[in-house]
Formats: sequence, structure tokens, C-alpha cells
Amino acid sequence: MGQHIESALRESMDRVVKMLVSFLPGLLAFLLAVIVMAAVGALLAVILRKVLTSMHFDERLASRQTPGEMTNLSEWSPANSPTLLISRTVFWLCVLAGVAIGLSAFNASFSETNNVSLFFLPYVTHIVGAALLIIGGTLLARFLSRSVLIGAVNAQLQYARFLSLGIKWLVLVLTAAMALDHLGIGGSVVEVAFGILFGGIVLTFALAIGLGSRDLVSRSIEKTIDKPTGFIPDPASKPGSDTPPLRHF
Amino acid sequence: MSTTPVLQHAEAATTAATQTPALTLVCLPPLAAEALEATLANLHRAFPGESLLVATPDTAPTAEVSNLRVITYTPSSPPPGAWVPTAADYLNAWTVAREHQPQALLLLGPESASVAPETLRRLATAVLDRHDLVLPRYPVGPHDALFNSAILYPLTRALFAHHVRFPLPIDAALSSRMAERLATAAQRLTAANQGDAFIWPVAEASVAGYTVRDVAGETRTLPAPGADDLNSLLSNVTGSLFTDIETKASFWQRARLVTSPPRVPAFATRPSARDSNPVDLTPMIESFRNAYTNLRELWSLVLPPNSLLALKKLSVTPAENFRMPDSLWARIIYDFLLAYRLRTINRGHLLGAFTPLYLAWVASHLHLVEGDADAAEQHIESVATAFESDKPYIVARWRWPDRFNP
Repeated sequence: MGQHIESALRESMDRVVKMLVSFLPGLLAFLLAVIVMAAVGALLAVILRKVLTSMHFDERLASRQTPGEMTNLSEWSPANSPTLLISRTVFWLCVLAGVAIGLSAFNASFSETNNVSLFFLPYVTHIVGAALLIIGGTLLARFLSRSVLIGAVNAQLQYARFLSLGIKWLVLVLTAAMALDHLGIGGSVVEVAFGILFGGIVLTFALAIGLGSRDLVSRSIEKTIDKPTGFIPDPASKPGSDTPPLRHF
Repeated sequence: MSTTPVLQHAEAATTAATQTPALTLVCLPPLAAEALEATLANLHRAFPGESLLVATPDTAPTAEVSNLRVITYTPSSPPPGAWVPTAADYLNAWTVAREHQPQALLLLGPESASVAPETLRRLATAVLDRHDLVLPRYPVGPHDALFNSAILYPLTRALFAHHVRFPLPIDAALSSRMAERLATAAQRLTAANQGDAFIWPVAEASVAGYTVRDVAGETRTLPAPGADDLNSLLSNVTGSLFTDIETKASFWQRARLVTSPPRVPAFATRPSARDSNPVDLTPMIESFRNAYTNLRELWSLVLPPNSLLALKKLSVTPAENFRMPDSLWARIIYDFLLAYRLRTINRGHLLGAFTPLYLAWVASHLHLVEGDADAAEQHIESVATAFESDKPYIVARWRWPDRFNP
């Protein structure tokens, strides 16, 4: 009896060790590919940065572009340097290439009957996509919330921060739902939950404006109508006012 | 869309080839027929007996004025509601001037029918006396040209070392080389389809080493900026100014006021020099307090801690003691200028967050001067002096931004 138990344990240990032996080379190949390609990418980035800096690429591009335009590459570049943007892009492309090569090597290390890679490889792309979604959504949420905050403050709305937070969380909730859907987590539960949450938030706003905050909104609207278009509480705009108007320009 | 104006000579104004070339060219904006005739009448009174060339985009009047030669030209699409000459206007003026080679070029802005003959005469005379850029100094009341008083004049004076009261002019008199230089700057903007962008003549003249002068002007109808709301207008003008300053950084970091400015005569004021009815400042102060509550995190990305502390104290100050120190205002402008350059935050957000601070300064200024034009002028001069005193601050932060990063 003891010999049978010992034999069973020894066999299972053998299987696990064999699986590890078949798994580890692939993993090491993956890591090696990523490290090598990252080194190549870093070298290319340094060379590219030196070349572009010697060509005065940033200055030439800035002279051709219009300040403040949305298509201005300098506006979107880190530290206002398109050279830095390009060099970092090249670096991360090499890293991504290294990941792809590593995954291919990881896949090759398994036998054809093994289904781990068939499941794992596509899921990695979904993870990358979901990560990009979350990053983009977070940036967009921050940008929109700040825009709404500044606009509401300049419009002298008392609930500017509330509006800003509302917009931010709406975008974040939307982003999270998209990422989860992309990862295939939760299935219809996430969709339904998001629909209920999002619809509830929108319905809340509608009810607040239509019913609950009727007086507050009507006071805000009245204040806005009474003000001149320049957002300046110009006393001269009031009927019968003797106070002089302000001219900013 | 063509950016080159097409010249057309009105048949009624073309005379024999023996006509002498005009010393002065006057470029007019689009005007209604009555306004055009009034402007021509003023020009005739300003330059009696002198040959004058007048370029207008409108149809020339049928009635000739003896000493005026009126030509028409087709400008590029004029921007709607332009209240000061823009890049397209400077480019059009130079294109006309290049053909006629005048010694002086007068570029008049909207409502030019209200420009007095004396003002026109002084502008042209100053240019003919070998000054390159001559700008008029129109009399304004204590509640007028607030943005100019708060930012444009002090910043231009501190950085470009010229005491020009209105650096963003409605009218201007230019020498030939000054007009060419401004046209070159305008060409870059019009080529990027930004014909309605602002040009900053004082800065251009300073960088080129040209002489600049401002002359006293008679009362004039000041054109209104149009239907734009204050927030977008402030953003446009401030953004244009900051961009111009950024491109000329290598110059203004070494520019110094070499000579003491000439003592300007007392600023002419409107008949009601003191307004008996004070402006209600409470809404502006409340607006600032609301902005401080909501935007202080944003301001903390731009302003250093001592400026934030000063703003915090200001936000809790009662309305009767609401006073923004001149040095604080100068530092705020310089910090926002630096943040604009470094793109600390999105530029649109930066300029939007600046509006409540400007309104706080307006409230402080109006509270201080209490409708007195002389007090207003004194305060504006003290603000400009504060900007000059703090110039080393912006120079140091510009060169080493990371050392003083809030």
C-alpha cells in the first residue's frame, strides 16, 4: 500500500517537473527576447534623439506649426519635445516587438497538444487593449473634468465641482465597463450593471434639473440671463442703473 | 483664398502722370459710405495741401477730395468683428505700400471716422520725423481698457522696455521698414490660415531695434470686441501675447530700459473724471472666492506657495479691504507666462483658470481708485513698476524652470 502511494506521488512529481521543464525554457526565451529588444530599442532611441537634436527637429517643427492648434505635435509631446515623443515611441515599439517575439518563442516551447498558448496568446492582446483603454479613458476623464470645472467656475456656477466630478466618474465608469467587456470578464452582468448605473446617473441629473433642483437651477438661469455676455456682473446692464460700464478692451 | 490684396485704381481719382508720389499712405478698414466720407474729410483737414494716398477696400466715393488719391484694393477675407488691426490688415497694408513706397503708413482700425484730424497729423508727423512705430495714446476713463492696464501695458513695458500705453493698437503709424517687418510676421500667420491673429508691433520694433513712440490722441470711439464672451476674448489675447513673448525670449531676457522714460503729460480723461456712482464689486469678489474654492488645486500647479497663500488671504478679505498687491499680481502673470511656455497644464485650461484672477485684479483696482481717473493712472504706473522690479524673477525662472518648480 505504501509503495503504491509512494509510486503515485513520484509519478505526479515527475509530471510536474516535466511540465516545468517544458515551461521554463519558453519563459526564459520570452524574458530574453524582451530584454534584448528593450536594449535595442534604447540604443535606437538614443541614436534617433541625437540625430533629431542635431537637425533641430523641434525648432523646425515648431516654426511650421501654429501655436494652440489641436494638431500641433508639440502640444501633445512630453516636455514639449517631439524628438522625445518619437524616441520614446521607437523604444516602446521595440519593447512591444520583443514581447511579440517572446510570446512566439514561448508558444514554440509547448507541444502541439498543449492548449495553454492557444488561450494565453490572444488574451495577452486583450489585456494590452484593456490597459490602453484604461489609460486613454483616465486621461480623457481628467481632461474633461478639468474643462468642465474651469468652464463652470467662469460661468459662476456654484456647483462647478459637482459637475466636474460627475463628468469624471461618468467617463471612468464607461472606461471600466469597456475594459471589462474587452477582457471578457463578467459578460452580460457588466453590461447590465453599467447600463443601470449610467442610466441611473443620467436620470438623476435629469430629475435634479427637472424637479429636485428646480429653484436652484432657475436662480442660476436668471442670474445668467441678467448678466452681460462677458460673464462680468456689470451693474450697468441692470435697468435704470447709473453705474458706469466696464470695458476690458 | 487669396491673401494678396488686388489693387484697383478708382477711375475718378486717377489723374495725370505728373502727380507727385504721396509721402503718406493711409490704409482704411471696411467702412460704411458715410463713415468713409467722414474719414476722408478728417484726412483732408489733417493734411491740407499735402498729397495723400488713401487705400480702402470699399468702393471709392464719387466726390473727389482735392489732395486725396483714393485707391481701392481687395483684401483677404476680413475677420468678422475685428476690433483691432489683425495680421491680415498689416499684410494688406504692406502690400499696398510696397507698390507706392510712401514714407509714412497710417493704418487705421475700425471706427476710423472718429479719429480726429489732430491725431492723424501727430501720427504722420512722428513717422516723418524718423520714428518707425508711432502709436496713439487715446484718453480713457478709469473703467476703460482694464485688460490693457492690468497686463498688456505692464508686461510690454517690463519685457520690451518701451513705455507704450496701448501696445495692442487700434491705429498705428509705421515707417516703411516697420511695415515690412510687421508684414513678415503677419505672413507667417496668414499662411497658417490665421489672418485674424494679433500682431504685437511694440515687441517687433523692440527686437528689430526700431524707434517707438506714442503720441497723445484726441478722444476717439473705441471699437468694441464684438459678441465674443470675455473668457474666450481673454484667452485669445493672452494666448497671443504669451506666444509672442515666448518666441522673443532671447531678446527680452537681455532688454534693459536704457534711458528714463520721458515724462508724459497728464493723461487726458473724459469729462466725468470721477464717477460718482461706484461700480458694484461684490459679484466680482464673489466670483474670485468661488474660483479660489474650486480652482486652487489647479492654481497650485502654476503658482508657488507664497502666491497661493496670498490668494488665500485675499479670498477671505472683506470686500471693503479687497486689495491685491501689485507685486503679487506681477508674480501671478509671470508664473502663468512660464506655465504657458512649459505647458504645465493644457494651455486652454491655463488661460481659462487665469480669468478669475484677472477679475480679482479688476475688483482690487476699481476698489482702490474709486472712479478717480488720476488715481487709476497712478495705480497703473505702480503696477508697471512692480512688473519691472520683478523682471529678474521671470528671467531666472525662464532659464532654470526646474529649480523653482512649485
